[in-house]
Amino acid sequence: MRFIFGAQMAWHGVAVNPLRSGLTMLGVAIGVASVISLMGIGEGARLAVVRQFESLGSNVIVIKAHDAKAEFQPEEARELVERVSGLRYASPVTRTNAVMKWRRARGQVDILGVSSDFPQLRDHKLVSGRFFTPWHVEQRSPVAVLGYNIGAGLLGGRSPVGQTVTLNGQTFRIVGVLEKKGEGQGEGIDDKIIIPYTTAMKIAGKRTVDEIWVKAESAKAADLAIAQLGRIYRRKLGLDNKAPVPTGGEQKQGETPGEGPGTGKPVEPKPAPAPETPGKDSTPGLELGKDIITITNLNTLVEEADKANRVMTLLLGGIAAVSLLVGGLGIMNIMLVAVTERTGEIGVRRALGAKRSDLLMQFLLEALYLSGMGAAAGTAAGLWGVGIFNRYGLTAVVSLEAVKVAVLVALGCGLLFGVYPAWTAASVPPVEALRR
Amino acid sequence: MPLIELRGITRWYRNGRVVINALSDIDLAVGKGEFVTIMGPSGSGKSTLLNIIGCLDRPSGGEYILDGMRVERLSDDKLSEIRNRYIGFVFQSFHLLPGLDAMGNAELPLIYRGVGAAERRRRVRQALEAVGLSDRIHHKPSELSGGEQQRVAIARALAQEPLLILADEPTGALDSKTGRTIMELFRKLNAERGITIIMVTHDRDMARYGHRIVKLLDGRIKEEELVG
Ligand SMILES: Nc1ncnc2c1ncn2[C@@H]1O[C@H](COP(=O)(O)OP(=O)(O)O)[C@@H](O)[C@H]1O
Ligand SMILES: [Mg+2]
Repeated sequence: MRFIFGAQMAWHGVAVNPLRSGLTMLGVAIGVASVISLMGIGEGARLAVVRQFESLGSNVIVIKAHDAKAEFQPEEARELVERVSGLRYASPVTRTNAVMKWRRARGQVDILGVSSDFPQLRDHKLVSGRFFTPWHVEQRSPVAVLGYNIGAGLLGGRSPVGQTVTLNGQTFRIVGVLEKKGEGQGEGIDDKIIIPYTTAMKIAGKRTVDEIWVKAESAKAADLAIAQLGRIYRRKLGLDNKAPVPTGGEQKQGETPGEGPGTGKPVEPKPAPAPETPGKDSTPGLELGKDIITITNLNTLVEEADKANRVMTLLLGGIAAVSLLVGGLGIMNIMLVAVTERTGEIGVRRALGAKRSDLLMQFLLEALYLSGMGAAAGTAAGLWGVGIFNRYGLTAVVSLEAVKVAVLVALGCGLLFGVYPAWTAASVPPVEALRR
Repeated sequence: MPLIELRGITRWYRNGRVVINALSDIDLAVGKGEFVTIMGPSGSGKSTLLNIIGCLDRPSGGEYILDGMRVERLSDDKLSEIRNRYIGFVFQSFHLLPGLDAMGNAELPLIYRGVGAAERRRRVRQALEAVGLSDRIHHKPSELSGGEQQRVAIARALAQEPLLILADEPTGALDSKTGRTIMELFRKLNAERGITIIMVTHDRDMARYGHRIVKLLDGRIKEEELVG
């Protein structure tokens, strides 16, 4: 009963001075809106990066040689699946480019040479046709699977499967078209042509590959496989395998001067001058000079990118929260003014029987109204802002967490900054208040 | 037993090193149904005395017994309750809330008492009728004349059905003709409803509406005079 009237009177206090209340609310609203929209941008950036990594497939490990002498025999890919437990799919990878001719048009295209494991490895489906087979790979067949954009471009949306294109003068039969990954996703796979690695090696004129992709059964299997792969390649490079095995996302196998890979001559490990991996795990005894082979667990990269971007989101939110705090101070300011201005009212209410708690409640509720309505307006503006960002090319998402935090902080500010003025109001002695 | 009994009441203010004795050693008894006026020059302590009687202020010393209760021992909340149940105030500057209409202002004490809406409205309507403002129920203070505003304040007190009405120079801001209608109203309420009234005034003519005049000088009761 008393509470309901307290609420009504507090509302009256807000409504009696609409301009001032509006401006105070605006302060809170701007704070809430900036928290929501800035955290929206941060969260959008995070999701974009995560999606980019995820578009490369889950539980994928990339083994890369950075030195021509350390490059791999394509057969190694299959051997790894047999030797390392937990690995499912593998593909040697060759990147090259070629001049493509389609009817009268010609142009340069990126070529990706892989094994028939590619669709499973990269979690990539086809929109039409099918992927090439192990037999195609073995036969170095001139077959091609097109990235989505290329596939869609040829016949204006009709499936080009069964047609032929020319790559560097050789005629290739189109057997399939990959699903769309989206702009910037999957290393731009939508704009590439995928052919058997054997065929691609012939085009590139190479006998070895500098990259192998393997896929583990699970995230845990990927972690274990990383360790095992590390041992295998260290031994292969002639490095000691007693050194501690790193568990991190990226392992770098140190260079052994004068020793090519596979010469089989054991070499003593070189003492490490300093751990140099920028990430978490250092591998003492392994780093020396530049890296010859890197083994990267893409899962870990996703996690790291995710973590870094979370920090950025929090930072943005923190900056925005300052403006929210300023909005809260605005409430306190206006409530203090209200208390001073309305001592007469306070005195009258006290004379008529209002208790201190009644006035405390009334002024506190008034502050809460201001902050609550400011928060509501700010949420609306924040959501609208996220929409605007999206329309103009910035990926922003509405994070429910940001909305929750912003609204709670705004209400908390209202409460926190309302308590002092309300307490002041309640503490004015009735005689003092009536004297004005 | 008198409704109000003051024994040796003092009230002083400390202003830096200076101590101001606003009231010294006041003994006063007011019976139920009396109409007492307090007179005295400016600064003689009239308002201070009225505020203590009205439980808006606490004495620095002495005893104050209101309807058998030792007031100076009561908590702040209890004093609020006493003001709310027993005492109606009428001030020189009316002290109406500008944002509320006559109804809203007059129902305030009943809101703090927790009276339900229908009952509140009924009592406020009656009170406004008693002061002749039935046709001004939804007027805000700024839309009323001084005399009308003071009558809203009296209606606000009446709606409380108080034992006691305290009026601090209620006609001070009004012209003498309007002042007299307010005084007539007080006399009527006192005679017909038996409400005890204590009123502070400067004006001898207004003071003569009461039964008894208490004269203050420098915080002391100089003399009491029965109105013949
Ligand atoms: N809050 C206060 N602080 C200091 N002095 C006060 C205060 N209130 C009243 N006084 C002093 O007490 C004396 C009596 O004041 P008051 O009761 O208002 O007189 P009156 O109503 O008779 O004009 C005056 O001298 C006044 O200055
Ligand atoms: Mg006075």
